[in-house]
Amino acid sequence: MALLEVKNLEVTFGLRQGAVVALRDVSFTVERGERVGIVGESGAGKSVAAFSILNLISRPGKITGGEILFEGNNLATLSDKKMREIRGDRIAMIFQDPMMTLNPVLTLGQQMIECLKAHRKISSSDARAIAIAKLRQVQIPSPETRIDQYPHELSGGMRQRIIIAIALLLDPVLIVADEPTTALDVTIQAEIMELLLDLCESNNVGLILITHDLGVVSQVTQKAIVMYAGRIIEQGPTKEVINDAQHPYTQGLINALPQQTVPGKRLNQIPGSMPGLQNIPAGCSFNPRCEFVMDECLTRLPEFTRSGGCTVACHMVRAMKQSADAEAQIETNAIQINATER
Amino acid sequence: MNAQQPLLQVANLEKRFNISGDFLDQLKFEGGRIVRKQEHVHAINGVSFEVMKGEALCVVGESGCGKSTVARTVMGLLKPSGGSIHYAGERIDQLSDRDLLPYRKKMQMIFQNPYASLNPRMTITQTLEEPVRFHNPGLSQIDIQDRIKAVMFDVGIDPAWGVRYPHEFSGGQRQRISIARALTLEPEFIVADEPISALDVSIQAQVLNLMMKAQEEHNLTYLFITHDLSVVEHFGTRVAVMYLGTVCELATTKTLFSSPKHPYTQALLSAIPRLQDDRPSHIRLQGEVPTPVNLPSGCVFHGRCPHANERCKQQVPELIVQSDGSQVACHGIEEGRL
Repeated sequence: MALLEVKNLEVTFGLRQGAVVALRDVSFTVERGERVGIVGESGAGKSVAAFSILNLISRPGKITGGEILFEGNNLATLSDKKMREIRGDRIAMIFQDPMMTLNPVLTLGQQMIECLKAHRKISSSDARAIAIAKLRQVQIPSPETRIDQYPHELSGGMRQRIIIAIALLLDPVLIVADEPTTALDVTIQAEIMELLLDLCESNNVGLILITHDLGVVSQVTQKAIVMYAGRIIEQGPTKEVINDAQHPYTQGLINALPQQTVPGKRLNQIPGSMPGLQNIPAGCSFNPRCEFVMDECLTRLPEFTRSGGCTVACHMVRAMKQSADAEAQIETNAIQINATER
Repeated sequence: MNAQQPLLQVANLEKRFNISGDFLDQLKFEGGRIVRKQEHVHAINGVSFEVMKGEALCVVGESGCGKSTVARTVMGLLKPSGGSIHYAGERIDQLSDRDLLPYRKKMQMIFQNPYASLNPRMTITQTLEEPVRFHNPGLSQIDIQDRIKAVMFDVGIDPAWGVRYPHEFSGGQRQRISIARALTLEPEFIVADEPISALDVSIQAQVLNLMMKAQEEHNLTYLFITHDLSVVEHFGTRVAVMYLGTVCELATTKTLFSSPKHPYTQALLSAIPRLQDDRPSHIRLQGEVPTPVNLPSGCVFHGRCPHANERCKQQVPELIVQSDGSQVACHGIEEGRL
């Protein structure tokens, strides 16, 4: 059984102008020790997806449909008390901005020990020992002295390491990381990503990595999920999604990267921009920007089609798959007929 | 101006920011006596480069390396603490605001954050008209309108949208408007400070394409500040890599990406996440970037450099021209041990 199974998740924000559906029909699974990347542009709903897994959607947002199954519980309907036991203990979260997530008036040790004591019956000295061990795991030099320092005494990269250490404190089985390196420089980003990857591998921890950087997804994850305007439009094994993208949006996103073009030549741009959630067009939400748009795309929401290892929500991909399947069917029929005739 | 003369020439540029506060803040009690102490952030320490006409010189580096300060100093938004800036042969860093006016018309700037660089209380038309009217007092209203309509059309903003306010546009559209504002004066030189960092990938491509198109059509020269090396590889003619307020390598884009020489450049290039990668692969640097308040002695990179020796700790390296035309500031390269 999958470690985490999200089924038809729907999140709605009740605004003064009316309800806005931020997530629609989102389904995916994370296996134990599997690393899943969620990519998309800002406003695509990737952070909402991450937050809803921890049931951290606050008003006016609300989970209005679907299930989040984790270790026999449906997190979407779990009581606050039960949810608090899971959060930080079984599922940990790493937030985007390392400057904002640590409490500036508490030392690192106080914050780490507080977290341990909230979930376990443990003495302060034992908790401190665990905290120091975790700091060592994330390669903080001289953790015995660092633990009594305040967050402002550390650089951005160090702070993100501390946050990873806090996420690992209670040995969770799943870590949700929301753009963990966006606020950091490239050299620091590479270090943090390598650390996160090593720790997930050695502790067999599942990882959901939210990012807009396809390069990072390619480096770290095994499965990639591409989101657009609140829906998943393509998901599958990372290598397949990156090397053989099916959905026109995924293709466009990959081709728009400067490294995909000959230097000095024009980049392959996707025209237009992503619609706001209040005015998502009818049919496929990507249709105003899609170069392969067909009549069907303007009226009917595309359902998910399996194509190779990937699941794609695109009418064109489905049509191509159907004609390919039909041809294959005719061929197998012909072989069968030949066989019976003989 | 002859063809060989660079459009912009920056020599030994220095910029220090005094962070010691007012007089009473500067007084410290030390060894039984009260002494006055001043502290400075050494943002730029002796940066020299030239920008030739028609090229795009990219300045890359991590946050805090002084690349934005270089951009602002070149534009005259900050007064340098030392060194000189020549524009088309004329020294401009000591000019008064009034004497700078003719240069402001030729040099324009595009800022990083399109949400902050447009006045929220002015319509797009007002924003675009203001600089034209200010710099060309003789121009009639109809001429001004014609000119901004042409520019808006160029950058892909419908001139009919001119009555709208910035909040009605998306980030990509706002950045197009910022570019339009820079182009209305028909400048020859544009300083772009991280113009695409605040935008999404698919929008970044649109804005970069627009800037390349403008460069071809108006024969523009760019000083392009960015931290994104994959953009540099695509966009730049030449690249200057900065570390802690100094240029450590300056080369043509092709040379820099095919054979990076300075150890810092090598580490920086190896850290770009590539689509083909299976794992994060990069050259590990020890430690962290030192603070620009107390600069390390010698080569500013020596504390993190795997190849540093005694000389690196004491003597500041100079930019030295290599056989392939690139300039590298590294004792190891000079001595031939790297």
